[in-house]
Amino acid sequence: MQPTLNAAVSVTELGVDFGNFKAVNQVSFSVAPGEIFGFLGANGAGKTTTIRVLCGLLIPTRGTVTVAGIPYLSEESADRIKEKVGYMSQKFTLYNDLTVAENLNFTASLRKLERTYYLKRKKELFDFITFDKPESTMVKDLPGGMKQQVSLAASMLHNPEIIFLDEPTAGVTSAAREKFWSLIKSLAKNGKTIFVTSHYMDEVEQCDRIALMRSGELIALDSPKGLKESTFPHPLYELTPKRKIPYSEIEALRSPDYFDSFQAYGLRFHASPRTAQSWNEFLMRYSEDFDSQIIQPTLEDVFIRLVEGQNR
Amino acid sequence: MKIARIKAIAKKEIFHVVRDPFTLALALLLPVMMVTIFGLAIEFNVQNIKIAVYDGDQTQSSRKLIDTLASSGYFLIDSFPTQFAAIHQVDAESDRAALMIEPEFEHHLWSDRGARAQLVLDGADNSTVGSVVGYFTAMQDLATHKILGSPITTPVEVKTRFLFNPELNSRWFVVPGLLVVVVGILSILLTSLTVAREYENGSMELLLSTPVEPIEIILGKLAPYVGLGLSAVVFVYIIARVFFHVPFLGSHFTLILGCVLFLSTYLAQGLLISVTTRKQQVAMQIAMMSGLLPSILLSGFIFAIESMPLFFRGLTAALPARWFMVICRDTFLKGSSLYALRYSFLALLLICTVMVVIASKKFKRDVEP
Repeated sequence: MQPTLNAAVSVTELGVDFGNFKAVNQVSFSVAPGEIFGFLGANGAGKTTTIRVLCGLLIPTRGTVTVAGIPYLSEESADRIKEKVGYMSQKFTLYNDLTVAENLNFTASLRKLERTYYLKRKKELFDFITFDKPESTMVKDLPGGMKQQVSLAASMLHNPEIIFLDEPTAGVTSAAREKFWSLIKSLAKNGKTIFVTSHYMDEVEQCDRIALMRSGELIALDSPKGLKESTFPHPLYELTPKRKIPYSEIEALRSPDYFDSFQAYGLRFHASPRTAQSWNEFLMRYSEDFDSQIIQPTLEDVFIRLVEGQNR
Repeated sequence: MKIARIKAIAKKEIFHVVRDPFTLALALLLPVMMVTIFGLAIEFNVQNIKIAVYDGDQTQSSRKLIDTLASSGYFLIDSFPTQFAAIHQVDAESDRAALMIEPEFEHHLWSDRGARAQLVLDGADNSTVGSVVGYFTAMQDLATHKILGSPITTPVEVKTRFLFNPELNSRWFVVPGLLVVVVGILSILLTSLTVAREYENGSMELLLSTPVEPIEIILGKLAPYVGLGLSAVVFVYIIARVFFHVPFLGSHFTLILGCVLFLSTYLAQGLLISVTTRKQQVAMQIAMMSGLLPSILLSGFIFAIESMPLFFRGLTAALPARWFMVICRDTFLKGSSLYALRYSFLALLLICTVMVVIASKKFKRDVEP
């Protein structure tokens, strides 16, 4: 796969090795300018390593990477990439023992922003996130959602073309998550490219496209709708047990006699029949044991089927 | 390398120090506590040693011997009527030693047989036995002179004169050494904590996602701690001079040069610990083990290096605290010049260079893309 022209991010056969361990292997994708690109995978799938490469924090072992039109070839190009991207991680947002102003001043100093530009930009960003508290507020005194928004503002002070958000809404309230995503969409509408990882499937649904990683490899890449259709070509059923089903019987149902996938969801099961005939056979045998209804697959179903299901 | 970025990181670090009660307490209280504890409590000159005395002679000569001991200021006399009672005092650890004067003491003194008295010591208490024997030997000569009423004449007369610390004042010896301990522990502990904290809360990655260079992070983060370390030097210096009246005979330039080298070595060591452990708690424990303990136990601060087994003597050569201890004490008490201290400075410079190179390489390897 050749690097995509005019793409915000273009990755071709990316490989990152740590000794003998291949953390990322043969990964190729591109992200268009203004796109909200979701990046999903279980822990250890290679998401963070890929993001570290794209942010200029790690030189790839193999493959070609172009970020914001800059080919990533060396430490020098890493510095140029860092000028063009913003990064916000879930683990660290802002220094709690500094005020909002001190945090932003610090980021502006690291990015060598000119003072008048910085002040103008800060005001724009405060308006954007509707920050209405005094700048002298200590970050530790901000509610979680507000902290994330100020952190987003800090990552955008230098007006980056691409913003990398690593689980940006982890640990904040639903209302705060909703507001955060409205900000993300607004940024994308204004031409910013958003590269986001999240564990919340309802959030990921809002991405234009989603890449799924497993064991360092890209296993699927499509729009949320496309992923659902390609993963579940047959109807998906929710099965509710009418009686207590022994574990051995449940395990028997996981075999490919009846279903392509059979996953537990609490006390219920989501099952995708292999064929119409296998579904009929299942009903003939188990209709007394389960209630069934057709459901629309969610991204969680896709994720479990493709990422987690393979490991079960 | 941009000075503005280094300043920004240093400023942020100062905010952390000022607003973190633990760091602030460590930076301000640790020197106070250490100077107080070591400066006041450590006394190598043992005094008021309780000694049980059995005087079996009860003559003018035996009383003169006992009076000489009592008036020396080193001994507190407990008299007992029997040898058994006096020995029992040592057994019971009520007294450090027992002096037994035999019944014919005076008679033997004036005869050719010579007077004899026995000193029984608690050998389990190593810390005072040496001092008691030393004092007692000196007192013995003095008592002989008093009893016989004429100066003692010996074929060879050795007169002792202590240079640099004529009164063998322990505090003159201890307080300059405190500079090494206080500066060492402050620099290594705070540095190891500050960098480990950035790793632990994930902010190191965020810092590195900006165009900031690793060297700017190192310099920006360490600069405030150099300041803190030098403040501690000034603090201990003032305490030493004003409260403990320790003389300072050397050059301030020599002392400051030694401080800067020593600080740089320990800051680099703190950085290395941070980068390797990446956890504040582990970093703190290793900093204590590798910073505080060698500074106190293996630097010559309390125990003489010359008296250590060969292996440990060799080990101390690799410890910056050992060389800075020599620089501190000799600058304070002897007024030694940079030239006179050249071997200590060269050793410190070598260790400092090795440590800075290792720490920088490890840090750069860990954070650079």
